[in-house]
Amino acid sequence: MYPDPDRPRRFGALDAALIAVAVVAGAYVWFRVADVLAYRWDWGFLPGTLIRSDPDGGWRPNLLLEGLLTTIRLSLWAMVLGGALGLLLGVMASSARLLPKMTATAYVGLIRNMPPLVFVFVFYFFLSAQIIPALGVDAALRALSPAGAALVGALLGPPALAENLLSGVLCLALLEAAYICEIVRAGIGSVPDAQREAARSLGLSGFQTFRLVTAPQALRAVTPPMANQFIMLVKNSAIVSLISVQELTFIATEVAVSTGRRFETWIVVAALYFALCYSLSRLFARLERRMRLTDRR
Amino acid sequence: MKFTGAILGAVMTAAAVAAPAAAQDAQQALAQTSVIETIKQRGVMRVGMATFVPWAMRDKNGALIGFEIDVANKLAADMEVTVEFVPTAWDGIIPALLAGKFDVIIGGMSITPARNLTVNFTAPYANSSLGVMAHVGMEGKAWPEDYNQPGVTFVCRRGATPCAYIAERFPKAALRQFDDQGQTLQEVLNGSAQVLVDSQPLPSFTIYDNPGVVFAPTGEKINPGNEAFAVRKGDPDALNFFDNWILVNRASGWLEQRHAYWFGGRPWADLVSN
Repeated sequence: MYPDPDRPRRFGALDAALIAVAVVAGAYVWFRVADVLAYRWDWGFLPGTLIRSDPDGGWRPNLLLEGLLTTIRLSLWAMVLGGALGLLLGVMASSARLLPKMTATAYVGLIRNMPPLVFVFVFYFFLSAQIIPALGVDAALRALSPAGAALVGALLGPPALAENLLSGVLCLALLEAAYICEIVRAGIGSVPDAQREAARSLGLSGFQTFRLVTAPQALRAVTPPMANQFIMLVKNSAIVSLISVQELTFIATEVAVSTGRRFETWIVVAALYFALCYSLSRLFARLERRMRLTDRR
Repeated sequence: MKFTGAILGAVMTAAAVAAPAAAQDAQQALAQTSVIETIKQRGVMRVGMATFVPWAMRDKNGALIGFEIDVANKLAADMEVTVEFVPTAWDGIIPALLAGKFDVIIGGMSITPARNLTVNFTAPYANSSLGVMAHVGMEGKAWPEDYNQPGVTFVCRRGATPCAYIAERFPKAALRQFDDQGQTLQEVLNGSAQVLVDSQPLPSFTIYDNPGVVFAPTGEKINPGNEAFAVRKGDPDALNFFDNWILVNRASGWLEQRHAYWFGGRPWADLVSN
């Protein structure tokens, strides 16, 4: 009654029919678009927005690639900061004590029940406008030595925009921390109580139990959802274009308006995001497989 | 009685001496906290702007060019400081100024009473009127009465002055607002919306580039605007300085000459794309 599961998979009539339907649907949409859209396609401007020749010789990344680099920097730093804060919150949320538990739960409740967009606005105009100037980042950045400026340039991008990037990083990190907290809490919760009890009965202290027994097992459980969360973060980083962080989406708006080549720009931007996120997901899949292999040994 | 009189006299003398001193202190404090003073100390003027052809846009090398870029560059050169542009989403440009993200908005912003309640404006450095661009589907209809009908859709850039104009003059028509220039243009080019009202010369340039798709239903100059710098409130020194900088450069003809270059035609088109 059921097909033999051992039978080698072959390309059947149903597959051919499905592909044909997909092709026809694609072609129909394409013709409809060409019909409705009053638009002259011109991809000629494109290479110029990715790289430019430097007057001193050589090639430099131009607007869109710079934007992509900023998106990568933004996501990386937000993940580092958000990961640290999320880990702390996750541990607090798993605590048996009421105060840390309630603090973490309240934070997660606050962030997760607010649209990220609204949070970004509130954070930028009310909090970051108070915090960032008080830190004296701007003055510190201006007083940098050339070597320091080069270092900051590599880590945070152009120093003049570093302050702005920092707001973006903080904002995303605070958002991410709430989601990472939940992942960490679930990870810690997935370790059976018996493990903890056994550790305690062996005479390990509370911290030793966490470090030697709970954390390694929880880490294994949280790796896949963390990787997923990081990819989500890369995509979500587009919302800080609202507060004028010069990342890929913001730069794309500028390029689209300046050149008047709207669709080409956005298609390229979509492709760039896809390339970035897809390679990340492949990378994480590999890491996961390797982790499983080492486990088995 | 005499004693009280003496005390009274002493107090009044003290007050008479102290009052001008207090006023002087306030004046000094005001002058020292002026954004002009901050800019000079920092050696950098931070200018908030948004991409908007031909006020400000990106050239092929990713550098900013445009009318207000020229204006800000000359202003900075005259102040002997360097200029730093902070490209900002138009929606949040006034809050960003208030939050101190930059010193001044030089962004082709027209003076409106509503905006003026939150920020101070200088004297205008440009006067651009609005232009209209309509989809060919509207050809043969009379401007403006046939446009004030249900079924006609206007588009504008969210938060920009044309939105208020459209809402007031064409109450029966639908109005859709978008975040950036690109989206508003494409809606009308596609025919999803019929009419675009936006600052010149964008409508004229687009009509020139897309004959047979869009046209100009009217040649009238709508709502001639006054574009000015915006600064935070409570800063008389900055207002005075910027006002007079504009006055001087208007009198010398420099502003008019740059305006003619960017708005008169498109000698700069090659800078932007191939």
